[in-house]
Amino acid sequence: MAEIKKVAVIGAGVMGAAIAAHVANAGIPCVLLDIVPKDAKNRNAFAEGAVEKMLKTKPAPFMHAKNARLITTGNLEDHLNLLADVDWICEAIIENPAIKRDLYQKLEGVRKPGSIVTSNTSTIPLATLLEGLPDSFARDFGITHFFNPPRYMRLFELVKGPQTRDDAIAALAHFGDVVLGKEVVRCKDTPGFIANRIGIYWSYVAMSLAFKHGLTVEETDALVGKPMGIPKTGIFGLGDLTGIDLAPHVNASMLRLLPATDAFPQAFEPEGKLVRLIGKMIEGGYTGRKGKGGFYRARGKEVLDLETGEYRPKQKAALDSVNASRKGLRALVEHGDKGGKYSWDLLSRVLSYAASLIPEISDDILSVDRAMKTGYAWKFGPFEQIDQLGTRWFADRLRAEGRPVPRIVDVADGRPLYKEEGEKAYYLTLSGDYAEIPVADDAWSLADKKRGKARIAGNRGASIWDIGDGVACLEFHTKMNAIDADILNMVKEAANLHKKGYKALVIGHDGDNFSVGANVGIALFQANVAMWPVLEGGIAEGQNIYKALKYSPFPVVAAVAGMALGGGCEITLHCDAVQAHAESYMGLVEVGVGVLPGWGGCKEMITRHVLNKKRPGGPMPPLATVFEMISTAKVSTSAAEAREMLFLRETDAITMNRRRVLADAKARALAMVEGYQPPKPVELNLAGASGKAALDIAVEGFALQGKATKHDVVVSGAVARVLTGGDKDITEVTTEDDLYALEREGFMSLIRTNATLDRIEHMLTTGKPLRN
Amino acid sequence: MPSYTAPLTDMRFVLHEVLKIQNYANIPGFADATPDTIDAILEGGAQIMQEVMQPLNQIGDREGCKWNNGEVTTPAGFKEAYKAYCEGGWPGLTADPEYGGQGLPHVIGIALSEMMCSANLAFGMYPGLSHGAYEALHAYGTPEQKAMYLPKLVSGEWTGTMNLTEPHCGTDLGLMRTKAEPQADGSYKITGTKIFISAGEHDLAPNIIHLVLAKIPGGPPGIKGVSLFVVPKFLVNADGSLGARNGVSCGSLEHKMGIHGNATAVLNYDGATGWLVGEPHKGMRAMFVMMNAARLGVGIQGLGIAEVAYQNAATYAKDRLQMRSISGTKFPDKPADPIIVHPDIRRMLLSIRAFAEGGRALGLWAGLMVDLARKHPDDEQKKINDDMLALLMPVVKAYFTDYGYESATMAQQVLGGHGYIAEWGMEQFVRDARITMIYEGANGVQALDLVGRKMPEGFGRLLRRFFHLVSGYIQDNMMDPDIGREFVQPLAKAFARLQTATGFIAEASLKNPDEAGAASMDYLRIFALTAIAFMWAQMAKTAAEKIKSGGGVAGKDFYETKIAVGRFFVDRMLPDTASHLAKLQAGAKSMMALDAANF
Repeated sequence: MAEIKKVAVIGAGVMGAAIAAHVANAGIPCVLLDIVPKDAKNRNAFAEGAVEKMLKTKPAPFMHAKNARLITTGNLEDHLNLLADVDWICEAIIENPAIKRDLYQKLEGVRKPGSIVTSNTSTIPLATLLEGLPDSFARDFGITHFFNPPRYMRLFELVKGPQTRDDAIAALAHFGDVVLGKEVVRCKDTPGFIANRIGIYWSYVAMSLAFKHGLTVEETDALVGKPMGIPKTGIFGLGDLTGIDLAPHVNASMLRLLPATDAFPQAFEPEGKLVRLIGKMIEGGYTGRKGKGGFYRARGKEVLDLETGEYRPKQKAALDSVNASRKGLRALVEHGDKGGKYSWDLLSRVLSYAASLIPEISDDILSVDRAMKTGYAWKFGPFEQIDQLGTRWFADRLRAEGRPVPRIVDVADGRPLYKEEGEKAYYLTLSGDYAEIPVADDAWSLADKKRGKARIAGNRGASIWDIGDGVACLEFHTKMNAIDADILNMVKEAANLHKKGYKALVIGHDGDNFSVGANVGIALFQANVAMWPVLEGGIAEGQNIYKALKYSPFPVVAAVAGMALGGGCEITLHCDAVQAHAESYMGLVEVGVGVLPGWGGCKEMITRHVLNKKRPGGPMPPLATVFEMISTAKVSTSAAEAREMLFLRETDAITMNRRRVLADAKARALAMVEGYQPPKPVELNLAGASGKAALDIAVEGFALQGKATKHDVVVSGAVARVLTGGDKDITEVTTEDDLYALEREGFMSLIRTNATLDRIEHMLTTGKPLRN
Repeated sequence: MPSYTAPLTDMRFVLHEVLKIQNYANIPGFADATPDTIDAILEGGAQIMQEVMQPLNQIGDREGCKWNNGEVTTPAGFKEAYKAYCEGGWPGLTADPEYGGQGLPHVIGIALSEMMCSANLAFGMYPGLSHGAYEALHAYGTPEQKAMYLPKLVSGEWTGTMNLTEPHCGTDLGLMRTKAEPQADGSYKITGTKIFISAGEHDLAPNIIHLVLAKIPGGPPGIKGVSLFVVPKFLVNADGSLGARNGVSCGSLEHKMGIHGNATAVLNYDGATGWLVGEPHKGMRAMFVMMNAARLGVGIQGLGIAEVAYQNAATYAKDRLQMRSISGTKFPDKPADPIIVHPDIRRMLLSIRAFAEGGRALGLWAGLMVDLARKHPDDEQKKINDDMLALLMPVVKAYFTDYGYESATMAQQVLGGHGYIAEWGMEQFVRDARITMIYEGANGVQALDLVGRKMPEGFGRLLRRFFHLVSGYIQDNMMDPDIGREFVQPLAKAFARLQTATGFIAEASLKNPDEAGAASMDYLRIFALTAIAFMWAQMAKTAAEKIKSGGGVAGKDFYETKIAVGRFFVDRMLPDTASHLAKLQAGAKSMMALDAANF
């Protein structure tokens, strides 16, 4: 299998450029070419403009601005020679088969032998794209379909043609999975592949049924949201986000490709209310968030009335069925109100449709569920949803309504589509037998390791699991994985696992966020009722536990993904190594709630920056860097940024694929076992009072400019005191315990103030920081 | 016949020397309230309460109000007394000057209220309810409504009522049935029956302004669909003169245990014309604005009864000769010792007095908070005081009325058999006090409000206002040579129990919400005792300073007595916090174990 070491993307539109950016995120050099603009002064304007624009786009396509340097821009007339040493050329130009084929002809002349060419088409069949092209091209050609935005959407649909080389597909699959960090789903060469085939139908039906059932936009989105496991934008909100003008194009291409007997053309009403409304909206420039508005406008305060087509103030949806859905999907679709009826109408169609497409679009249900979860961000795939309803119940209701029962549901005959037995999980196949869901050694979730096993230890907030080879895994499972007394107790226990014969410890889990920080709700309550000794004890306890973890006699590796903030960040700072997912958002954000990092965060960061060999000389530069980071609650927007901020050290590693983070962390931990020595305590010489004075002056400057609030000055002052070593000066040695003591003192001085408590309360009640 | 002397010295001590309200001259209304002015007002108030109101208390109880074909006659003398009260300008004492009020601080109003409640609780409710109506209209009325009603409520020319309760709906106002149908002219037709309406119908004033909660058809269900309306007994013409009789009538008066002098009416609304006050369906919001002040008012009723009951029982105990002191004869020249020599008589009297004096300080402090919450120029201070008031109100309402009733029965007990005889007046205090535990939110509901609403609000933000204050006070005064050992250290113990109880409830109720309910009343009492101990510590400190420095509102004897009563509170009442904590920590289990069928 040839390794892909250099990539080219042809077409610097939104998708193409963002694919190139993501290739660069993976550290792979990438050529980005587009056509020469008409009458252009700058013949590379398209590709260059795209990269420039992406540096300003939010959410950012680049994980770090410096990644842009890995992209070589050019045009298709002058720079085809740049493709000569490229291993994979990804075409992402206009969805027009003739133009695409012309391009392929051109590529044939310049690409290196054995290189791979793929198209990022979302709907055009592979066969169509290959018409008139030589076999030599067909052997190297496939479809790689990214979802927008490619950095964040995990699905990567991979389509192999009848002639495509197996090793080319294997190389793409490996590259997509390991290097780009995508969920690779193999698809057949059918219209819309898997995700769009189901997703476009779902999107149309979900919107048009709202008219049929007399639902408002708000009501529909309240249903097609959390109750159905859909992101909270709902369906109309999603339309606004992706662009209303997109709908006619995708609908048309699917209608062109699908047979008239397919459910989508059957359901589609070219003169229906929805199509007419959308036509009117596009005509008026109401194309969604990028236009004058969409189904919502004025930052969601106004909503389009589906009946009148006029905007009106947003109303909170009040549907009993939405409340009922807390008891499950079945309670939702069985509810008697219009929301319940709509939900059944929608789900019965979409789930039946998905089920009826086995084996047309995929031989297995697993791929379909994975595609919908990673391509459309559904919480549950269609087959998981059928299991929630119950295959028996679902089939019976369809039959009672005189509707066909899809084959896979019929085959299930009341059995679930997924089952777990012992340590293994299975899915049902069309043959009626269950097939094992394979778990790779180097890519697994904690759920795979937990299955059929009892935890070693645990409480309400955390559990410890044996993940094999003498390694234990500490899992958090509080709300948002906020750190509370339960978690701390388990950290304490985990730090002693060597006594039970464990060789190493991984701290991590399957959750979206490693940990959002300490549970400040309890601290706020304790502070409000003036339980000062209890609060100070809590800080000391956390410090002791993290310290014990740091000096435990076996390696500890944190497997970070998503947010690792505040106390959640601090625990990673006390680990021997961090294996971070590329999408890791790390930061010491305590000042946002008016306190300072009290569990060794100040201590670890000042130590790292002082000891950083690459830093400029003198006592002030590292101090200023850490001070700015902590006093402005700076959070990395990626693991790459976290590395620059020294939340990650040079010895820490980054994993692109979320499903590989734990496996990589475990491998890292095992690699450290041999000859492991706990870290040596360090002593620092900090700037002392004169350093603090310099920082205070800077803060006062910000306050005068209106950039720092009254309480910012107080909080920053407390942070400055800790970072400069308190009452010591540069000639005196500050130990780790001194810094812990300073953190406690600073924390306690802040938590006693009204302004800090107001900040905490505001954060907990509104989710936003209070600027007081 | 009972007597009453307003405790002016004690009031002046609290206002001038403990709360030091002269330091709040930056708050509107306070600048005019110099110590001299306040003293003059208090003396004027004491005079009318002692000379006009108090003598009518037993008459009112005996005669009661009479219903005759929809008309209600108040007891003999009430009309004249009300006239004198209005002529003295008392209804508008703390009201907005824009509508003819004197704009004096609310805290002064609290002192006057206490005197009124001691002198004649039943009578006091007529102006009391008027003030409630004034507050609602002042906060939420339209400019036209304010112009039409407020000046006459402030002058006392008209009186007001609050109409909440219906036959099937008391605490749970969401069940309300009275409906308000919108009319083309913007008014509403109100139809339904309201019960337990204090001062609902009478002959003291030519017009009565009813504030009525009702539901507009088609509004949200339950409590979220309740709106507030103003419904005058007589419609008011544009020139302010009285017009046609409105469709509201008094169907009957309730026969009740006490407060006979007040008319507790059943009011029938039969398409009566009313006008919306505030926004539709937001009636409860308007109610809550008044609720704090109203609950403070009811708490003060408990305090007032305790004070007057104490005075009469103490007088009796010094006069009544029975038996000899068990530690040896104290008055050999008399045929027997007065019963004041007996420890248990003293226990009862001192319990009442220690509550009354501590409660007075707490009640006046709360009154000051009303002023600061409404008028403080700094928004932060406004909020802090509003929070503190919201927190303390269920505590004051429930504890003051529970202990007010307890005080009345202890005072009655001091009189022995005579306490049971109507002529001595003690049994009337018991009967009159009993209602205060029930109305304006039964005391159990107050306790639920404290643990269920006030405690979790803002993750304990309301608690912070009180806890940080007390915690800081303890820290600063723990080693005080005068009060450290005797007052502050016991306060610290009680406060620690309060913290423990707070933490216990917060944690236990997460697992089982019934734990909060089961703990609520004991918690409220720990809270109240701690709050009163906090006041006693401050009073003792002031008294000790005055003893050293000389001067003050009274002589050395007063301050020494003050400290002595405070010691009794600390020694003999504050330790109840320990037993309440033990009960509370026992949890809900035994309380909830019995199946409903087994009751």
